[in-house]
Amino acid sequence: MKRTVSFPIYAAAFVISLAIFVIGIYIGMLIDQANVRSISDDVSNISEKVASIQLLLLSEGNSSSFCPIYVSQLDSIDEDVERIGYKLSYLEEEKGIYDAELKKKYFIVEAESYLLSGKVRTLCGGDEVLLINFYSNRDCAKCRDQGVEVLKARDALSDEGIDVKLFSFDGEIGSPVAEAFAMQYNVTTYPSVIINGRTYAGYRSSEDLQAYIKAAR
Amino acid sequence: MDIPDLLNYAIAFFSLFTLNVFILLYLKHRNDYHKPLKHSGWTPSVSIVMPAYNEEKYIVSSLRTLLDLDYPEDKLELIVVDDGSTDNTYKVAKAFEGPNLHVFTKKNGGKGAALNFGIKNAKGELVATMDADSYVTKNTIRELIPYFDDLDVMAVTPAVKIRESSHWLKEFQRVEYLMILFSRKLLSFIDSVPVTPGPFSIFRRAVFDEIGYFDEHNLVEDQEIALRIQAANYKIKSSMTAEVFTEPPDSMGDLITQRVRWQRGGIRNYWKYRGMIRPEYGDFGMYFVPLNFAALTAFFLLLGLLAYSILSTPYYVQYIWFEALGMDVTFVTFVGTFVVLTSTFFLWLAIRSFQGERVKLRYLLSFLIFYWYIMVGYNVLFLFKELKRERYSW
Repeated sequence: MKRTVSFPIYAAAFVISLAIFVIGIYIGMLIDQANVRSISDDVSNISEKVASIQLLLLSEGNSSSFCPIYVSQLDSIDEDVERIGYKLSYLEEEKGIYDAELKKKYFIVEAESYLLSGKVRTLCGGDEVLLINFYSNRDCAKCRDQGVEVLKARDALSDEGIDVKLFSFDGEIGSPVAEAFAMQYNVTTYPSVIINGRTYAGYRSSEDLQAYIKAAR
Repeated sequence: MDIPDLLNYAIAFFSLFTLNVFILLYLKHRNDYHKPLKHSGWTPSVSIVMPAYNEEKYIVSSLRTLLDLDYPEDKLELIVVDDGSTDNTYKVAKAFEGPNLHVFTKKNGGKGAALNFGIKNAKGELVATMDADSYVTKNTIRELIPYFDDLDVMAVTPAVKIRESSHWLKEFQRVEYLMILFSRKLLSFIDSVPVTPGPFSIFRRAVFDEIGYFDEHNLVEDQEIALRIQAANYKIKSSMTAEVFTEPPDSMGDLITQRVRWQRGGIRNYWKYRGMIRPEYGDFGMYFVPLNFAALTAFFLLLGLLAYSILSTPYYVQYIWFEALGMDVTFVTFVGTFVVLTSTFFLWLAIRSFQGERVKLRYLLSFLIFYWYIMVGYNVLFLFKELKRERYSW
């Protein structure tokens, strides 16, 4: 028997596969864009909520009569801010989608909610601890591990009834807010952790962090 | 794009391509594959060789179906080779002995050796192999003979099926067998049938003298002989109507053991015939043989990628797992969904192409869901045994 290769079949299969492939890539791009847009919307929403609390604080001066509102609003804002941060990280680390403008915009909202939380804590006498994790996505082998340790410390303390609010800043993407914070807290190396205003430079384990946080209360 | 991404893309494209080839083969031959063949009326003498090792449980029913075949008695010869059974197989078979039914017994030497022993004693122009745990139907031979009008055809494979039951593992394999049969039929259109299954594949007697007998040291001798026939550039055709019913493994352990054996023997056989990856071997050399290596590689890569993506999941994902799931809907998900849907469609085509075969929805679903896991099971075991260099034998 003389054998042949059925080129037309393979060529057709190749073309059809390629077509589905291209459609798939296009749909993938649309989904990626939609993801970025949805996070961008989240940031805008939070930004508005932050602005309204700021307005209330400004108009009421230093009166503590609105404390219940401040506290409950900020708790939900801080929680949302943290989740948006994870979503941004997930997009960046797992999907390779990096949007510098969105990240800068996010850091502004994050900084605002951090400052507000500090202010409300003083005004209303809360006992939650504010923790900033300064990291860098460039040449920082320990930063990823530090992020995990911070979360472990927070979760462990939350079981003991100690409330820790997390804020994370990438100090090396040219965000003016992040750079101003870094200067204010003397951050020269990554990772660095700031607990209620006190700076701890270099990698710290979850156990160490828990001890610092307990001491800071 | 990093290496895992590239590998994901490559596997996605490979799966798409393979599936599309089968779909196109179906579209091209959708009007041919169930058309009855024109037949010259040639009625050759046929010898049926049945090796049997400890088959006292099944052999009587099996022999009865053979005696009931619709074929001229003077053209039919039955040869039972008892392969040194330790039960009553020989005695039970001996009771059936007659002018056209011969029962031999020999020292235990494996299925290949028993087959060769039987074939050497066979006088028919065609030789069918038979398993003692399988049952033919009345017209099985009649359905197979017409293919031999083409003088290049050296072997024809039957439709090896499993009887419908309510045993889920058997139903699972029944669905699988129908899918394999359908694929084999499609492969026969590009002369790439890679196996002549033990139950009732039928050969020209002359082919054994030309290319040799069954490899007696092979784990899957019925595949090796088919590859050898392909290497000699002869045709193997595939029937979807010549039914043979077989007894599948009925426990997960036995099934996995069987598949590990198929996989170990199968890959070794393809490796042995890797020299056929050349244009002069047509579709078989340029598509089918490479496909087997590519599929195995893709399978293990996919397994590795899955493990990698689970192990490298960032810690914080636990707080946003639902959102992360949403963000993971990407290009690969799209292609994956397409492949799953198209294979489901292919499965439906396969079952539909057999008249009278019905599969309950729950078995179909369990097949679609669990096939992958069983494949993971036996492939991992296969890799493990190969890496351990475990003795290669039955």
